[in-house]
Amino acid sequence: MSVAEQSRIGRNYIAGLSEKFPAAMLEVEWQTADQITVTVKPDALPEVVSWLYYDQGGWLSVLFGNDERTLNGSFAVYYVLSMEKDVKCWVTVRTLVDPVTQEYPSVTPKVPAAVWGEREVRDMYGLRPVGLPDERRLVLPDDWPEDLYPLRKDTMGYNQRPAPTTDTETYQFVNDGGESRVVPLGPLHITSDEPGHFRLFVDGEDIVDADYRMFYVHRGMEKLAETRMGYDEVTFLADRVCGICGFTHSVAYASSVENALGIVVPPRAQAIRSIFLEVERLHSHLLNIGLASHFVGFDTGFMQFFRVREKAMTMAELLTGARKTYGMNVIGGVRRDILKDERAKTLKLCAELRAEVTPLVEMLMETPNLKQRTQGVGRLDPKVARDFSPVGPAIRGSGFARDIRVDHPYAAYADMPFGLHVLDGCDVLSRVLVRVKEFYDSLAIIEHALHNMPEGPLLIEGFAYTPHKFALGYAEAPRGEDIHWSMLGDNQKLFRWRCRAPTYANWPPLRYMLRGNTVSDAPLIVASIDPCYSCTDRVTLIDVKKQKATTVPYQEIERYGRERKDSPLK
Amino acid sequence: MFKLLKIIRGAGEATEKYPFAPFPVSPNFRGKPEHSPAQCIACAACVTACPPNALTMQTNTAEGKRTWQLNIGRCIFCGRCEEVCPTRAIKLSQEFELAVGSKADLLQRADFTLTSCYCCGSAFAPAKEVDYALALLAQGALSAEQAEAMRPHLETCPECKRKQALASIEPAQALMRG
Ligand code: SF4
Ligand code: SF4
Repeated sequence: MSVAEQSRIGRNYIAGLSEKFPAAMLEVEWQTADQITVTVKPDALPEVVSWLYYDQGGWLSVLFGNDERTLNGSFAVYYVLSMEKDVKCWVTVRTLVDPVTQEYPSVTPKVPAAVWGEREVRDMYGLRPVGLPDERRLVLPDDWPEDLYPLRKDTMGYNQRPAPTTDTETYQFVNDGGESRVVPLGPLHITSDEPGHFRLFVDGEDIVDADYRMFYVHRGMEKLAETRMGYDEVTFLADRVCGICGFTHSVAYASSVENALGIVVPPRAQAIRSIFLEVERLHSHLLNIGLASHFVGFDTGFMQFFRVREKAMTMAELLTGARKTYGMNVIGGVRRDILKDERAKTLKLCAELRAEVTPLVEMLMETPNLKQRTQGVGRLDPKVARDFSPVGPAIRGSGFARDIRVDHPYAAYADMPFGLHVLDGCDVLSRVLVRVKEFYDSLAIIEHALHNMPEGPLLIEGFAYTPHKFALGYAEAPRGEDIHWSMLGDNQKLFRWRCRAPTYANWPPLRYMLRGNTVSDAPLIVASIDPCYSCTDRVTLIDVKKQKATTVPYQEIERYGRERKDSPLK
Repeated sequence: MFKLLKIIRGAGEATEKYPFAPFPVSPNFRGKPEHSPAQCIACAACVTACPPNALTMQTNTAEGKRTWQLNIGRCIFCGRCEEVCPTRAIKLSQEFELAVGSKADLLQRADFTLTSCYCCGSAFAPAKEVDYALALLAQGALSAEQAEAMRPHLETCPECKRKQALASIEPAQALMRG
């Protein structure tokens, strides 16, 4: 799809780039009115990204590699920047990477937010970001062969399992807790329903630093989608990226393809998507607020929040036919309408939720423990936030007004009544409060959409499929934005699918949020970015002064966090 | 504290009696797909649509048999099959209790007889699918007799049809004669 000259948004950034880096610019192309991809020379990559990021108010949403050797002879890396200052649009900086040297200059020294992405590109494509300070593997396990890069087009099938190269873990985990438990829950994604291993470096009770290792249960979904599934079936796979906000992923994926092919989704379908998205936010936020109650010792509140949350689940089942994995999206629209009876029932549930949650929230706010335990705890410094591009309530609790629903309206959000809630406490409390406010907005959005449902079809059919078109799709999940980038292939499959869940953007700064707090605050801080961390089943504590390591079952740490007596450190 | 007690009292019993009492689901809940072999014509539309390959089909021409299979362990309850089925032979039910004691019980099969080609005699398409096509024709522009008259044509396998088509073209005839 070629975008008409006058409707191109972001020309100012391109003009600025051409003026500042005249020799580096190779190609500029608009994929949609507000999505631009700029190809630059590799040497200029760090400068260009950093100029857009720091000088022009950009945030690094995602970065990824692509094996384009069959298309143009080279590999490519893409840095997707969400421009959120005056002119809001997406600028993707792309550079081709020589297939022989397989090197390109690292952006991380200039823009720290690039660190996980560059580590992942190295794992998946074997492309070396020269100058990357942290050269450890990110995604691949210790026993993965040296020269096998899973996402290269010529390496392997999705169902191949290379023999482990070593039997011993390079990471030695101490387990003094006797029998160890394995909890194989979910994906690497969003709420990180996965075993992750935290290392807290402590001095007595105080955390001086923290490190963690994730991706123990990487499911290879991108590879699966690229090799095994039709592009129109991936909406159902995207539904399963996350156990909480799967529908958000599905919307992000579907809209990436719709954007690439220039499909205009009918207004009624857009409104329905917004409704389902907010239903997801309802139950997700209630879950997190419930957990916050649990962590500050208000366990009855936790039970009550979960009881009330069931109404949001009922709403999902009523509207979509399933509590989770709604399966409602197809390329071009949605599969199911909202009927009169369902509409009336949903409105009734909304009213009940509002009435029942309000006193619970009041009580939570009055719990003396809440302020005491959460105020000033787990500080996400605005400077750190600016450097790492975190998302969702985490960044909104640190004073930045970022919400994809507002910055780059999708689905029906341009016409919906809601606010952008920003607090500047930078602490766990601010994140909880942001969620509380957003909960009420979600109810308002659902009610508004149900009252003002546009007429018309649910689905566009009969669009033209063009190979090698690509674009971004995005949606604000309860814990931050999901970003998908899809490039269509010439076989009705995806040539490349990049799916970035919000928690991916929130893990790197977590380390700074943990520093300076006590061990008993750690569970609370981790929970405040809202990952499903139930599977982070053990924590290793390393006392830097005594040079001693102890492994404590996670439940024990959590118990200590609530009761604050009988420290497991003694 | 008093407020909390009031909420707790008001909430009453939040848990359900399930599994000692049935657990009702929403009217449009998407549960286990129910297949009616009597209604199915083995056209494989559902098999093509099924995203996780929970539905598969195997054609055994030697035995003149086609087997439709649902692996409930792979099913994601999306309902695509129901959407595409021309005869409403598959429909998602309200059933959600799907645990089984042995893996084999996750599979559900239905066998269909293949029709033999009018010309070469090899098995090629489900008999019911051919009948269904004829019935459709009879419902449309054609009379029952006219439709029935087309049976030999519909019961010819694609391979033989190709040969027949070729044979009807003058230059090709010359070529075939060598
Ligand atoms: S419901 Fe979906 S997954 Fe299950 S059999 Fe039908 S198409 Fe396949
Ligand atoms: S689509 Fe319907 S008729 Fe065709 S094979 Fe499937 S169940 Fe049978």
